[in-house]
Amino acid sequence: MSGLLGQINPGLLLVLVGFAGCLIPVRRVRQALMVGTPVVAMVLLALAERGTDLSMVSVLDLELILYRVDSLSFIFGLAFLIAAFLNAIYALHTDDRLQDGMALAYAGAAVSATFAGDLMTLFVFWEITAVSSVFLILRAGTKAAYQAAMRYLGVQIFSGVLLLDGLAYVYKSTGGLSLDAFTSFDQPGAKLIFVAFAIKAAFPFLHNWLQDAYPKATVVGAVVLSAFTTKLAVYAFARMFPGFEILIWIGAIMTVFPVFFAVIENDLRKVLSYSLNNQLGFMICAIGIGTPLAINGAAAHAFAHIIYKGLLFMSMGAVLYRVGTAKASELGGLYKSMPWTTIFCIIGAVSISAFPLFSGFVAKAMTMSAVAKEGYIVIWLMLLFASAGVLEHSGIKIPYFTFFGHDSGKRVKEAPFNMLLAMGLAAFICIAIGLPTIGGFGYGWLYNMLPCTVTAPADVCMLSGKEIKPYAPYTVDHVLTQLQLLMFAVLAFILLKRFGLYPPEKPGTILDTDWLLRKPGFGMVKWAGTVWGKAGPAMTGFFAGLGARTFEKIETTFSPRGALARGPLTVSMAMWSGVLLGIVMLVVLLGR
Amino acid sequence: MTVPPERDSSGRFIKPEQEAPKPSDEKMHPMAKLIFGWVGSPRTPIMLLILVILICAGLVAFDLTVNRHEYLDFANANGFYAIWGFAAFGLAVLSGWPLGKLLRRDEDYYGEADTTPQDVESDS
Repeated sequence: MSGLLGQINPGLLLVLVGFAGCLIPVRRVRQALMVGTPVVAMVLLALAERGTDLSMVSVLDLELILYRVDSLSFIFGLAFLIAAFLNAIYALHTDDRLQDGMALAYAGAAVSATFAGDLMTLFVFWEITAVSSVFLILRAGTKAAYQAAMRYLGVQIFSGVLLLDGLAYVYKSTGGLSLDAFTSFDQPGAKLIFVAFAIKAAFPFLHNWLQDAYPKATVVGAVVLSAFTTKLAVYAFARMFPGFEILIWIGAIMTVFPVFFAVIENDLRKVLSYSLNNQLGFMICAIGIGTPLAINGAAAHAFAHIIYKGLLFMSMGAVLYRVGTAKASELGGLYKSMPWTTIFCIIGAVSISAFPLFSGFVAKAMTMSAVAKEGYIVIWLMLLFASAGVLEHSGIKIPYFTFFGHDSGKRVKEAPFNMLLAMGLAAFICIAIGLPTIGGFGYGWLYNMLPCTVTAPADVCMLSGKEIKPYAPYTVDHVLTQLQLLMFAVLAFILLKRFGLYPPEKPGTILDTDWLLRKPGFGMVKWAGTVWGKAGPAMTGFFAGLGARTFEKIETTFSPRGALARGPLTVSMAMWSGVLLGIVMLVVLLGR
Repeated sequence: MTVPPERDSSGRFIKPEQEAPKPSDEKMHPMAKLIFGWVGSPRTPIMLLILVILICAGLVAFDLTVNRHEYLDFANANGFYAIWGFAAFGLAVLSGWPLGKLLRRDEDYYGEADTTPQDVESDS
């Protein structure tokens, strides 16, 4: 029985229940399914055998592997399921069939894509994540959200098209659709698949869909969105592009540039979106390093990040829900009304800042050590700068300007109980996996799930040829140096505030690279539309006249009353056969 | 003796600016009073600064007693992380002044400004 249950893809279960949930009008029944299904899925995942193809289907001569679990996919899949469970609790105060169902289907698509055993299955669920998630933005019901949702959908579908093109090249050259790691960009399809993943991972210059769409989503939607799409892309990179050196540099740049945007951004959900970019950079950089320690760092960071970033989005969502805004310039002093939300937000903030005893510390330490160990000095310094930057925007700016700072005078109710429960559970996980290991409790639980363990390493762990060694985050060196970095950054904040050097929070739109598309790009399209609007009718008239005259000539020549019909039939047939043969020969000659 | 009201350049009396009333703490959550009661004290900022300075000094002093083994040699220097953390944070924040002037536009720059999602039930 357990063997049979272990063959059921937990992600597929979530997708089916999610789509069915859109049709269930009874709120309590639907919500019970939304909360219960991820728990059942976790049980199914625990029963799954590792390293074998558990569910296969044959479509048009293609053998698709729908379900395959190894130590790399397991940790990502589990993190997605935990996030789906927490998100469902967080959404209990709402009564929105479409949002509930699509949130679960989106999570299920991400889980299914993670456990896909071939490129075609990955592609199908890759696209389902795009289509299902767009409803979380649309349900905000505003014009800005609708426009952002359309841009989001376009970008996500484009990523899918590139993936489809790439897998076609892979299939043509190898005859299979394996998810084995590429070894070079010269392999057919590698570049296309790389760009497809890069779009979803929000690489620099491809990143703006994230900051554009996430802050415009519903309160629940932004929390759900923060967990899946980008981490699915991180998983895909870890699976197919480990050790690609270009990822080291791209990742490092990703950690640094969002710091500057986050400093001046006023919308705190947008600040968190920039922070998401920054965190993804650490993971991408680690995948580029590609050693077992680095791959473990990326996986641990992704797991911890899904929880603490979700927690931070939850706390800002709670503030938005109660106050009606998440803009720093309009907030402040909310600790007086929302003390529990304040505490949970602070736990998320210290976790993402990687303070010892919290999840970010045990996760990020591996990446930093792996980069230093391989001797990438500039990259390491960039990551260290970005670590102080994370503290600035997510560790201090988010909780300080929302809950402390200038008292806005807003006195609201504490967040609904279900929101507090979801935040409390997420905060518990942030602490539970960050503590030193004492009696089976602590970071050991996370480290035992990592992909590169001595007992059952994933295939990607072997590619670098480096030995797998256990890692200890809680050494005097690590704790001391991390505390020095963070506490001196805190000191800098206090002094900058005290001397009035901290830039004030101001409302406004911050220009980013999407300006190119939304201003000159949109202008070009508008101009082209105007030109076509004026030139079109004239050109249509010209071509219509030309067409009519040509048809008239053809008719007078070829019709039963036409010129060719007047002479002997054989003569015209021979003549036209010769003409056609000549054309065919010319085409063949030119086409060779 | 009362101070006469100031006049502007055209000789009109200038109405003295009244300080905004301090928001009331009557509706403060009981849990907030228990956990964060100390936050509102006027002495808190300076006490916090002193506490952080003491912690920072302690960390640097402790660094002098520890023989660290970093993969990168220069990172073994005493106080390297302290200086980097302080400088990096300062650079990130101070860059906000020129960047804000350069990149900030009106809220409706791209058309309609962002509005509140419909699932928000604000009670402020």
